[in-house]
Amino acid sequence: MNFLEVKNCVKHYGAIRAVDGVSFAVGAGEIVGVIGPNGSGKTTLFNSILGQIRPTSGRVEFCGEDVTGLSPLELSRRGVGRTFQSLQVFGKLSVRDNLIVAAQEFKGTLHGRLLAAPDAGLGRHADEMIELFRLERVAQLPAGSLSYGQQKLIDIAMAFMPAPRLVLLDEPCAGVNPGLVDQLRELLLELNRLQGGSFVVIEHNMDFIMRLCPHVICMVEGRVLAEGEPETVQSNPAVLEAYLGK
Amino acid sequence: MSDFLQLIISGTATGAIYALAALGFTLLWQASGTINFAQGEFVMVPAIVTLLAMSYGLPLWLAFLLACAASMLLLGLGFKRLVVDPLIRHGTIPLVIATLGLSIGVKNLMKSSYSAEAYPFPNLFPATLFSVGDLKISVYDIGTLLLAGAIVFGLQAFLNRTLTGRAMQAVAQNTEAATVLGIDVKRMVLYVFLINALLAAVAALLVTPTYLAKFDMGDTIGLKAFYAAIIGGFNQTRGALLGGVLVGILENLMGAYVSPAYKEGVALMLFLVVILFRPEGLLGRVEERKV
Repeated sequence: MNFLEVKNCVKHYGAIRAVDGVSFAVGAGEIVGVIGPNGSGKTTLFNSILGQIRPTSGRVEFCGEDVTGLSPLELSRRGVGRTFQSLQVFGKLSVRDNLIVAAQEFKGTLHGRLLAAPDAGLGRHADEMIELFRLERVAQLPAGSLSYGQQKLIDIAMAFMPAPRLVLLDEPCAGVNPGLVDQLRELLLELNRLQGGSFVVIEHNMDFIMRLCPHVICMVEGRVLAEGEPETVQSNPAVLEAYLGK
Repeated sequence: MSDFLQLIISGTATGAIYALAALGFTLLWQASGTINFAQGEFVMVPAIVTLLAMSYGLPLWLAFLLACAASMLLLGLGFKRLVVDPLIRHGTIPLVIATLGLSIGVKNLMKSSYSAEAYPFPNLFPATLFSVGDLKISVYDIGTLLLAGAIVFGLQAFLNRTLTGRAMQAVAQNTEAATVLGIDVKRMVLYVFLINALLAAVAALLVTPTYLAKFDMGDTIGLKAFYAAIIGGFNQTRGALLGGVLVGILENLMGAYVSPAYKEGVALMLFLVVILFRPEGLLGRVEERKV
């Protein structure tokens, strides 16, 4: 069974067709890349899948269940996580506390959590993530005081803290030092191996996405222009034309 | 010198009460972007409820617990569900207008349905004095300071040392990220409204023996708490504490060394100076807002 199935997803803003009948599926443990020029509807597609906006029509299924229009909170409880293009860390909390807070909703009962100690048994898992992301030296510092690249790593680590079954990563390489890009790719592959979740990754860095994703979808003007193995999509004349022009 | 120290101690005690109400202002603002101009009435209502319960023969402590429960239900849950939730998506200004209206409405409802008279309120601590060298210290001041201090430390411990407290901080810092991470933002915001109602009830217990229980007793404390929150920094809980204590002390010093006539204007003067020269408040941080 597919983890995620998007069926004929449409999102219109008046006359603008931001997403125009997109369908694709993501299998268990699969990593799917989504590429496309700016304004091709990639982030709108993510927002429609994650319930941040309600699609005009179409259907989103997660593990066979219709989850179209469910709120991010309800999807999160079903094991769906995401990262954003912009940084989404809690700047005044320490790196370690950011990671613990990211998984707190999944720990124990409501009443148990109310007065639970701040790490509530999540400290060990947070420390493992800190080690995996090589953030040991800054673990106790406020997240907001760190460099953009380090905050990006924290942002991604937070999305993986609850061990989600599906993660949607929106431009994980954006603003990241080129030296960190390879490390980021290795980390995502390692997390895929360790946690077994499925990923959908939006990215403009072609080298990153071609080496990370066995399956790539190219979107143009809200539609799927091409999909398949990275080399096939990359050499597709229509894709080249969309990126480079005639 | 001993007079000066006595003024500082009693000013700190009064300021601690302002700080409790001011803390509510900053918590609501940080968690939900709500500015509650009915905060003074949130102090008046539990004071009247306590008196009402005592008129049926309940002891002070039981009447106060009842007032806390009523306050959390009406001024915490009720205020959030009936006033804030429907208006919050329209921005800050409609909510400010609504809370100003609520303030007038609650005051007049209390005046017409209960009484327009001022009633004495039992003092939690004895009005006796004890001596430390030349210093004459009031048991009431020390008791007020200890109780307000305990509430503030308890609240800080909850926010910093529990999982839920950290999650509440996370919601205050970045609501969108908190939502996607599965934190129940609505529940965390509700906790803040309940805490605010509780802080107002404790402030009522401490301040009403001085102000007397009356439908308009909230005017002064609500305004001073607002000034204190702005002076300290509206986006910092530490700022509310500093602002409250500063206002309390300076009021006492002004009343004693300049003129009692200027005492009530101290908070406003300090507020104007801060707004002019440091609009983010003494401990506040400049906030960027998306428009």
